[in-house]
Formats: sequence, structure tokens, C-alpha cells
Amino acid sequence: MIRIERVSKTFRGRDGGAVEALREVSLEVAAGEFVAIVGASGCGKSTLLRLVAGLVPASSGTVMLDGAVVREPRAETAMVFQAPTLLPWADVLRNVTFPLRLMRRADSGTEDRARALLAMAGLAGFENRLPRELSGGMQQRVSICRALLQEPRVLLMDEPFGALDALTREEMSLELLRLWAARRMAVLFVTHSIPEAVLLADRVVVMSPRPGRVVDVVEVGLPRPRSFDQEGSDEFQRCAQRIRAHIFGERGAGGGAARAA
Amino acid sequence: MWEASCRLFGIREFILPAPSAIWAATVAVWPTVLGHTWATFLTAMGGFLASVVISLPLAMLIAASPTISAAVYPLLVVTQSIPKVALAPILIIALGANEVPRIIVTFLVAFFPLVVGAVAGLLATPPELIELGRACRAGKVQELLRIRLPYAVPFVFGGLKVAAALSVVGAVVAEFVGADAGLGYLIQTSMSFFRPSLAYGAVVILALMGILMFWAVELVERVFFPWSSGAGQPAMGA
Repeated sequence: MIRIERVSKTFRGRDGGAVEALREVSLEVAAGEFVAIVGASGCGKSTLLRLVAGLVPASSGTVMLDGAVVREPRAETAMVFQAPTLLPWADVLRNVTFPLRLMRRADSGTEDRARALLAMAGLAGFENRLPRELSGGMQQRVSICRALLQEPRVLLMDEPFGALDALTREEMSLELLRLWAARRMAVLFVTHSIPEAVLLADRVVVMSPRPGRVVDVVEVGLPRPRSFDQEGSDEFQRCAQRIRAHIFGERGAGGGAARAA
Repeated sequence: MWEASCRLFGIREFILPAPSAIWAATVAVWPTVLGHTWATFLTAMGGFLASVVISLPLAMLIAASPTISAAVYPLLVVTQSIPKVALAPILIIALGANEVPRIIVTFLVAFFPLVVGAVAGLLATPPELIELGRACRAGKVQELLRIRLPYAVPFVFGGLKVAAALSVVGAVVAEFVGADAGLGYLIQTSMSFFRPSLAYGAVVILALMGILMFWAVELVERVFFPWSSGAGQPAMGA
């Protein structure tokens, strides 16, 4: 489905020097697969997502989607940002339908599907509220609904729960899994929370910073549907330890003392 | 207190007329005052509308390209540094003693804050919203019309409120220099005929006109762009 082949990306820094964000990154994501990308800040994970989205061009290498090279944003991808990024002037319903209206893909059933999706995300009754009347968690749910309404085959999520408090975050993770299970698109999920990555993903890609490279890909062998009960399981601990070891070196791998959240 | 001190200290009319004297002088020639008020209002409205019509496209051009911005902004600042009182007689000689130069002067006084406000709004659009538009394959025009312009609305209204108040100032400046009607003209003639109470009356009416135009803009904002006025409920908290 998604095929990233030896992609490098170099930005021109503010002082004129070149900043190497990604070096020779290769990754494949199958249709319907949930892949999380973790790494310290500055490891180019957001850049990788924007490359797949077609928002920034690669300096070298190719990103392919269904065998076609991605050069610009495509209809089959949708993106969720760290901030809800809602239109402050539009109510919840019009925010959710905004991309389809912008792409002139809205039809008579769009609104009904938007309502159904909002109801599934626990937002029934909020259709005509303005974004500023909602809490941060609700706003982010709206932005996830907005992405899902586009019926993407690839969902790109850039630290979507990064700005939420820990409790809302856990609740939203499970909700996301529920929504994903119902429609099964490929998901690329950037996060800096190791437990979150392990809980959600089929595979966790670990990246190293400056320049961003893939150092390991961890297969998560936990059965679905996932729940927080699995956090205590051996498989969960094995995956989390292995990821931690890559990110923090040996000091994180030794015992349970090091904690990343 | 104004009234009392005028009477108590016997302040003479040409220094400070008492409110009662102002009221009496104004009411005595009410139809004339009304006619002058209407003339000033038309000039102020004309200048205000010209500001809106010219400033918004100008702001879009400036926001669209740094090159245009670098070329146009210094010129705009120049227009702001020239005293409009000095410019008004020149314009009136060049364009004739009619409504056109008066509206131009009003426009010159009022348009600048509107341009600055609109440009600020257009450029304040969060980069994530722009990115969202691009991810939805929006072109430059769509991005401007569907994302940047709506986002700029609260900023534009900030500029509009200032412009509304300033357009009254502009109209009076123009009338001081060349007019045969309007409150500015009334102030000048009543001072030269030594009727300070009437001049004060005109000043009060001008102040009211400025307030009313300001309120009118605010009303439009409340009614048509309720999300912009910030009067809504605060966020419910995360």
C-alpha cells in the first residue's frame, strides 16, 4: 500500500545551512495495517508523515502509494494534526464536512454520514456547536471524524493525542482503535509515547534523531481487540523494553526505573 | 458640573459655553444643523466605503506576496505621514470643489488601520490550517477564500471599527478646507460669525456620529459573524 524507498530529506535551515531531517528511510505499510512511529523529538517523524501526505517533496528516494509516486496531496490520504486545527467560524458539522466540500466530493449523503460518525465518536448533539465551545479532547475527536469522513485508505496521524491530558489520551486511544476496527485503513501514527505506540500498533517503527533513520521495527504480537489490561502482559513489556533500549540506550533497558510517557 | 462652573465663574461664551447654551443654539437652527449633519454623514460613509472597497483587495495582495508587500507598504506609510489637512486643498484645486476630493481625503485618513488589520489577519492564519487546506488539495484561490479570509474576519473588524471612527475625522478635515455644507463647515462659519455655542453643538454631534458608526460596525459583526466577536461562552475546559 505505502512504500517508502530510501527517502532522504534535507531542509535549508534558518541560518542558511542544511539540516538533514531524514536519511535513507525505507518502510512498507500494508493495507489496513496500523504502524506507529516513535522517536525522540527531532528524529524527523513528522517530516516522514508529511512526505507520505505529499505536503513536502523528498530530497531523494520515492514515496509510493498503490504503486504511484506521491508528488502532491492525494484523495486517498487524510491527515490528523497534533492540534485539532478546526475552523473557528464553522460549527462541528461543517468542520467535519469541510475537506469534502473543499474537494467538491460532498454529496447528499455526506451530512448523514458525518452525523453518524460524530455519534460514533460520542459527539451526538454537538453538531451545531462552535469549536471553542468544546473541550480539547472533543475538538480532537472532531478532527479525527473530519479525517475519517474522507474515507481515506491511508490515515496519517501526527501526535494526535499529544496535546491532551493523560486520561483523555487513554480514552481516545481505545476510541481510535474502535473507529479503525470498523473501517480498517492503513494508519501511520506518530507519537512519542512508547506505551501508546505498543497498545495501538501492529508494528512500531523506532527512529533515531539527527538525521532521522529507522533503527528498528518491532512487531507487536498482542491479540486484538486491544485493551489496557494487556499492558501487564509479557509481550507488551518485551516490546516496550526493546523500544526503550533503542531510544535511551542501555540505561532504559536495564530495569523498570526509566519511564517514558 | 460643566454647567455649574460656567454659571458660577461667569466663564464667557467664547471660552466655554454652558451645555444649556450649546443646546439652545443648536436647537434654534435645527433644520440647518440636520442638513449639515447629513452632508458630513454622507462624506464619512463615502470615505468609509471607499476604504473598505480598496483596503481589502489591497490587503489580499500584500498578504499574497512579500514582493508586493515590500513595494506597497512604504507607499502606504508615506500616505500616512502626509498631513491630510495639507493635502486637502491641493486635492480640491485638482479635482474641483465637489464631493470627490472630500471622499478621497476621508479615505486617506481612514483606510490605513483597515489595511494593517486585514493583512495581520490574513498572515495570522495558523500554518496547520494552511496545511489542512493543502492536504485537501486546495489551490491558492481556495486557500484565500475558504481559509485565510474567514480567519482574518475578526482582525478586519478591528480595523473597520477604527476606520469608522476615523472616517468622521476625515470628513471634517475635508470640510474645513473646501465645502459649503457639513458639520466641519458649520464649525468654521459659526466661529467666524462668533457663535461658539453652535460650534460646540456641531462637535458634540460629530462625537455622536463617530460612536454610532463604531456601534454599527460592531452590530454587523455580532449579527453576521458571531464567532468573531469573542462574546461566546469560554471553552468548557479539557
